Amino acid sequence: MTIAVDARGAGQPSPALRAKRRRQRLTVLAFLTPWLLGVAIFFIYPLIDTVYLSFTRYDLLSPPKWIGLTNYRFMFTKDPQVVQAAYNTLWLVVILVTARVLFGLAVATLVTRLKSGLGLFRTVFYLPALVPPVAGVLAFVFLFNPATGPVNQILGALGLPQPLWFNDPSLSKPSLVMLGLWGVGDLMIIFLASLLDVPKEQYEAAALDGVNPWQRFRYVTLPNISPVLMFAAITGVIAALQYFTEAVVAASVASGQATTGGGNAALLGYPEGSTLTYAQWLYVMGFKNYYLGYASALAVVMFAVSLGVTLILLRRARSLVYGAEGTR
Amino acid sequence: MSAITATTQMSTPNREIDTRGNRRAKRRKRLSFIADHSLGIAVAIMFLAPFVFIVLQSFMTSEQALTGDLWPQSWHPSNYVDVFTKAPMLLYLRNTLLYATLATLFMLLSSIPAAYALSRLQWKGRNIAFVVVLMMMMLPPQVTQVPIYVMWTRLHLTGTLWPMILPNLLGDAFSIFLLRQFFLTIPQEYADAARVDGCSEWRVMTKVILPMAKPGIAATAMFMFFFCWNDFYGPTLYTSENPDSWTISLGLASFRNLYQVQWNLTMAATILAMLPVLIVFFLAQKVFVEGITLTGVKG
Amino acid sequence: MSIIRGRRRVLAIAAAAAGLALVATGCSSGSTDAGPAAISSAPAKLTGTVTFWHFFTDREAAAIQTAVDKFQAANPGVKVEVKKGQDDEKTIQAIASGQPIDVVLSYSTDQIGKFCSTGAWRDLSDYVKRDGVNLDQIPTVVRDYTQFEGKRCSMPMLSDTYGLYYNKKLLAEAGYSAPPKTMSEFSAMAEKLTKLDGNGAIQVAGFVPTFGFYENAPAHFAPSFGATWFNADGTSNIGSDPAWASMFTWQKKLVDFYGYDKLTRFTAGLGQEFSADNAFEKGKVAMMIDGEYRNAFIKAEAPNLEYGTAPFPTDDAKPDLYGAGYVTGNVIGIGRGSQNPEAAWALVKYLSTDTDSVVSVANGIKNVPTTTPALTSPALEKDANYQTFLDVFANANSTTTPTTASGKAYQDTLGTFAQNWQAGKVPDLAAGLKTVDQQINDQLALGSAP
Repeated sequence: MTIAVDARGAGQPSPALRAKRRRQRLTVLAFLTPWLLGVAIFFIYPLIDTVYLSFTRYDLLSPPKWIGLTNYRFMFTKDPQVVQAAYNTLWLVVILVTARVLFGLAVATLVTRLKSGLGLFRTVFYLPALVPPVAGVLAFVFLFNPATGPVNQILGALGLPQPLWFNDPSLSKPSLVMLGLWGVGDLMIIFLASLLDVPKEQYEAAALDGVNPWQRFRYVTLPNISPVLMFAAITGVIAALQYFTEAVVAASVASGQATTGGGNAALLGYPEGSTLTYAQWLYVMGFKNYYLGYASALAVVMFAVSLGVTLILLRRARSLVYGAEGTR
Repeated sequence: MSAITATTQMSTPNREIDTRGNRRAKRRKRLSFIADHSLGIAVAIMFLAPFVFIVLQSFMTSEQALTGDLWPQSWHPSNYVDVFTKAPMLLYLRNTLLYATLATLFMLLSSIPAAYALSRLQWKGRNIAFVVVLMMMMLPPQVTQVPIYVMWTRLHLTGTLWPMILPNLLGDAFSIFLLRQFFLTIPQEYADAARVDGCSEWRVMTKVILPMAKPGIAATAMFMFFFCWNDFYGPTLYTSENPDSWTISLGLASFRNLYQVQWNLTMAATILAMLPVLIVFFLAQKVFVEGITLTGVKG
Repeated sequence: MSIIRGRRRVLAIAAAAAGLALVATGCSSGSTDAGPAAISSAPAKLTGTVTFWHFFTDREAAAIQTAVDKFQAANPGVKVEVKKGQDDEKTIQAIASGQPIDVVLSYSTDQIGKFCSTGAWRDLSDYVKRDGVNLDQIPTVVRDYTQFEGKRCSMPMLSDTYGLYYNKKLLAEAGYSAPPKTMSEFSAMAEKLTKLDGNGAIQVAGFVPTFGFYENAPAHFAPSFGATWFNADGTSNIGSDPAWASMFTWQKKLVDFYGYDKLTRFTAGLGQEFSADNAFEKGKVAMMIDGEYRNAFIKAEAPNLEYGTAPFPTDDAKPDLYGAGYVTGNVIGIGRGSQNPEAAWALVKYLSTDTDSVVSVANGIKNVPTTTPALTSPALEKDANYQTFLDVFANANSTTTPTTASGKAYQDTLGTFAQNWQAGKVPDLAAGLKTVDQQINDQLALGSAP
């Protein structure tokens, strides 16, 4: 097969090359077709619909009625809850995602260094991620009950202060972060897989060069696991922007009205609105009060923010995206 | 232990200096062994604690469950039997298995080629396509389901599991993303070598790349499977009107009456719901080990 | 508990009827048409199938089923297909997507405004008139929450009423033999009944005043102060009605007596409302506001508790309100896509007005029956503690939360204010309440015709 030093001059591909390119394009198309259909049906169609609905008043039971920018005007000038919700959610995006990525990496590293009982440790660390959400959050919040929970009882026995955890407006979000760390097993698994994929010879070469552990991490491990790190960061951010179930269940348990299945806490964002997330507010406005047009507007804004944040992440970490082999 | 004997077998010319170096290395190795394991044990205890609580709750009476008591006053293993008599758990199990298995299978069929194209093939618009994949995850599901539910109603498929299974034939954004990242960690040389040998892309993908990406594919498949297993909102949206199609997660929420939830039964059912996935996970770990061996062959 | 999959785990429970505008016009259920009018006289014999969706599960569903079975026995040509465990969201989504549900029993009155104004539940006035159903047998307050702006789209089906529960033993120890009747008596008793431990932390609270604790909500206290939510024109009245200021002032005074932080720590350690650890049942709280259903729980979980019930105390300035309380309930109606409206109406009429049926379901679910004959029926199981709630229900001054076209958004807005108020974050009560008015009006404007 000729490697294209073509005497025909710049920009003039040979028929063979053109055929090859066409075949390659067809291959790409074939590989992508199912996904492309999915994009059209499950993404483009609902997206257009959502954007359209955001300019209407719609309560599900009557046809949508065009009201122009009213929803957006309300969102940006007349809705105090959305401000609180947006703040809480952004707080979680920054703190929760960072904490989970770092902790997940740490636990995965810990597992790689274990010499025995690997299977058991891995299962134990992954276990919380497998617990169905309501039961898991419930158990976790109960363990942190300020009066009867074992955590505070141990702290009390040690003479340490006993914080109110999920019942304290300034500690409720950090408590949710702890909950998220407890469930870090899913991140740990993919970090583990990628840590194990780092070619051994690179470590050996580094050892011969006599690098210290930090340098080894920075110059051998990190470049090799960076695609998966980027994945964790981006999916973490997107999930944090849509954070819902855990906040709702935790608030309902902490306020004494434990419930199953997605809950309907009488108190939004207990305590004092500190756990009200953007997705929760969207849900309440859209599916409890049936302001579906407004909910669509909230969704459009959430989508725009997600897009913006993701593009920033991608741009700043250009080399990370393309893996150890540098930009392509 | 083995690490120590291995070190002593490495002899080098300058014995005096190296003996001291070896001893230091030995001590360091021993200390780090203990440190690693104790840390692992401590972390493991913290991770297990809430789970232990769930297990203890599952043996309590309905009155005692969720009173904040940690230890059952009386033990009721009969709760685990009650779970089956109060709700058709075997039916739910079958439905959940069907949903999770088919969804995972379909996802792999559609997402692997897409991820491969996004990572290992060169074509114009590849970056834009990648951003579209990401964008698909960003639209909050409450709003995407709004028109999609209508579509399924028109197809008369509500009340069944198909609205949750079939879309995976058209790819799953999360899985495509994850697979792409895993594929990116495989050096291009292998694929290039195969192409030079005249393989079509399909063969390159199936015969060269896939075997190397096994840990990644296993992880992705596992995620999908477990996600479907615990998925509550998909089944709530599409099957709640038809109890014959309910999955385990809906079943978990059914041990309640008007005001009260019977938490002891809910916890017992939770444990039962977790057991299959736990077993699957424990066994699937072996694939990871195989993956290690294969990557060791690299280079 | 994978947070990565959060995107799908978010609740995704609604369906669009119209979907895309392009597609909307062809769709069946976009109309506000309330269905064909009732035929001129009730058919002699009923036939066909009736689909019946309701919220109950387990034991309560069995009680409903007994009533349904009796209906089927009386109407052998009709078959009723029951779907249990369906809440408002599910029924709205089903109706919106055109499913032909015949009878719907909703757990709350929140969505009545929406059901009536959009025609999602059919207008029943023709049927009521034609069959001569006597609406006077239903108390005014109940009639209010089963209709919206003149459209009666539902009939009531069992009710919850709220009153005062008090621990007789704790009261006696402090020298009290009767429950309080006015707010100042109430606060004084609450303070005296409170016990602190050595560190000053609350051990037993006379009454927990914080909003959000168990059933403490502005809506539940409103009838005791005579507070009204809306003006006649539909705008919020919270900032103008002095009764609200009265309520919040009373509440804050009591909160400050305990100390907000101490209260938070105390309530954080209390048991779940609907568990056997309920603070009142465990004697950790001497008095509380709760619904009539609490009686059944106490009987099952704390049978040795010496307690009494009474109407909730009233504002000192309005002693004639004593005996009133907050009333709410379940409602039943006919879905707009119903294929068999006559049989559906027969079932609705039976379940909501047939005295024997109402009484037997009330006994089974332990809720208050919603017709006067049922209330006074000797077959109704009750004791002294339960009777309190029957009396509150029948009291002319008892009120409910008004229905609006956008559900209970206004209650949530006031609830958020209440949370901030009791935490001491609102320096000016009057201004704060006026802001609440503004927010509620803005929200209603978002959802109503421009």
